[in-house]
Amino acid sequence: MPTVAMPDASAPAVAVRGLVKHYGAVQALKGIDLTVKCGEIFGLLGPNGAGKTTLFSILATLRTPTAGTACVFGRDVTIERDAVRRSMGIVFQEPAIEQRLTGRDNLLLMGLFYQLPAARARKRAAELLDHLGLTEAADRPARTLSGGQRRKLELARALVTDPSILFLDEATLGLDVDARRVFWGEVRAIAAAGRTVFFTTHYMEEAEIADRIALIDSGQIVALDTPRALKARVGGGVIRLQTEGDDQARAWLIERGLKPEAGGPGLMLVHDDPAAILPDLLRHLPVKVLRAEVHEPSLEDVFLKLTGRGLEMEGAAAPVRGPGRGRP
Amino acid sequence: MIRGIYAVVVLDLKRAWLDRARLLTGLAQPLLYLFVLGAGIGGSSRMGGPAYQRGIFPGVMGLSLLFTAVFMAISIVFDRQIGFFKAVLVSPLPRAAIALGKITSGAAQAFIQGLILLPFAPLVGIHLGIVNTAEMLAAMVLASMTFSAIGVAVASQFTSTTVFPIVSNTIILPMYFLSGALYPLAMAPHVMQVAAHFDPVAYAVDLMRGALLGTYFFPPLLSFAVLVGLITLLSWLGVRVFSRGEDDSVLGATGFRWRR
Repeated sequence: MPTVAMPDASAPAVAVRGLVKHYGAVQALKGIDLTVKCGEIFGLLGPNGAGKTTLFSILATLRTPTAGTACVFGRDVTIERDAVRRSMGIVFQEPAIEQRLTGRDNLLLMGLFYQLPAARARKRAAELLDHLGLTEAADRPARTLSGGQRRKLELARALVTDPSILFLDEATLGLDVDARRVFWGEVRAIAAAGRTVFFTTHYMEEAEIADRIALIDSGQIVALDTPRALKARVGGGVIRLQTEGDDQARAWLIERGLKPEAGGPGLMLVHDDPAAILPDLLRHLPVKVLRAEVHEPSLEDVFLKLTGRGLEMEGAAAPVRGPGRGRP
Repeated sequence: MIRGIYAVVVLDLKRAWLDRARLLTGLAQPLLYLFVLGAGIGGSSRMGGPAYQRGIFPGVMGLSLLFTAVFMAISIVFDRQIGFFKAVLVSPLPRAAIALGKITSGAAQAFIQGLILLPFAPLVGIHLGIVNTAEMLAAMVLASMTFSAIGVAVASQFTSTTVFPIVSNTIILPMYFLSGALYPLAMAPHVMQVAAHFDPVAYAVDLMRGALLGTYFFPPLLSFAVLVGLITLLSWLGVRVFSRGEDDSVLGATGFRWRR
């Protein structure tokens, strides 16, 4: 894939300052600050309703902020909308290809909408389809492709205009694990070619591929760092317990001077050496343990520690729900 | 802007081509009017069947153009539910180009439907020479643009496709019946003649009737001016409505609204 010329080498790819968005009385974003460097893979991780899609839509020039600013390559998303639009490719949660037309036609139409010269659009479409292994499927109606192929086609659609930054909003929703792995493999290749990638997800294992991650909850960034640094905040390791009486077990742990995290289903205990204390816990806990688990800290643990809530678990939906999310 | 309009038109025509069977089914209604209703009503009037059929041919053409254009405009409502449209919305394409492109593509599709109907004119005794055919084609372009602009202006006000029958019955049908498409306006009651002055369809049908049969109810220049004026006004309105959809708070694939 060809490398991409940066529109403004000195400006960060994304710069968000004090961004606020209200929907009537609902505060979807409560003052977001973040900077994405050029060439970075940046992940925005949070539960449904945390404000991911709202922030995404503002960066994608589809919504205007109530207050604050957002710039893409130094260009304000509300003031220099067209320049911003030209510099980015977007993959939405929902399909954004015309299902009845062929994959190739979809790409060529995109070229038309971005006013690419026809010959260049054709060449670029062929390259992308080839690169993504879609050449064979490219001349069938898009609706006949598999889910994974269709997502790759979305990626091709976003890339046909040769954007400097790629925005992905929950781009792998509904894909199986294999198709997701293939998809992220492609995204990594795109980033390696010099493009900036900004993505949202609520799958923590997807967020791991990011250079840096912002954890968002209830319209606020609760942490922003590399995956490794975020996990280091949790410390050595994590014990998760399911017992017949979590409250009783929690009280007992606190009595023993241990610090179980508040909230979440079951019990979560962060410790420097979890494997060493687990046998002791199992022997002495006054309630029956149904399930015990020791693992390296995951982003899920980080999120739970910071917010007291899980990312993907049931009931994780935050109280703030931006309109346009989760509608039937 | 021109290239943006072109892009929208190409998208729509590519989609329409998938539904090309509709061009044939779309022929059924006007032919029914012409050869069944026309023959029946004409045969039972003093005019006689053939003369009546000849007289309503331009009106039936108007019917075909009007309903095709309005039906295509309704696709705007569908578009909001199609994901591809979201990709269009984040492209640098000006919103105005979307509005004007929609009007143009609706008009183009109506015009093509009209072209398929036109060869039936000799069957009802209308001679198609070079001059009157050229005049007719020009009138059809104008009529198609007008009807499409009306359709887009109406459709952009709605977010649900279920309203189409209501729109059709309360706006389009009255305009059509009042237009003199199926009877000579000159012989209609005075009240209707006055009302027809406020009906854009009447001007469009009259231009086409004049082109084919040589008799005008309105001065042709007046019709021309009214239609061009209306196309301009409605296009401007359409551009305004579409441009208002910039910050949209409900951008789900299911409930996209242009207007807040």
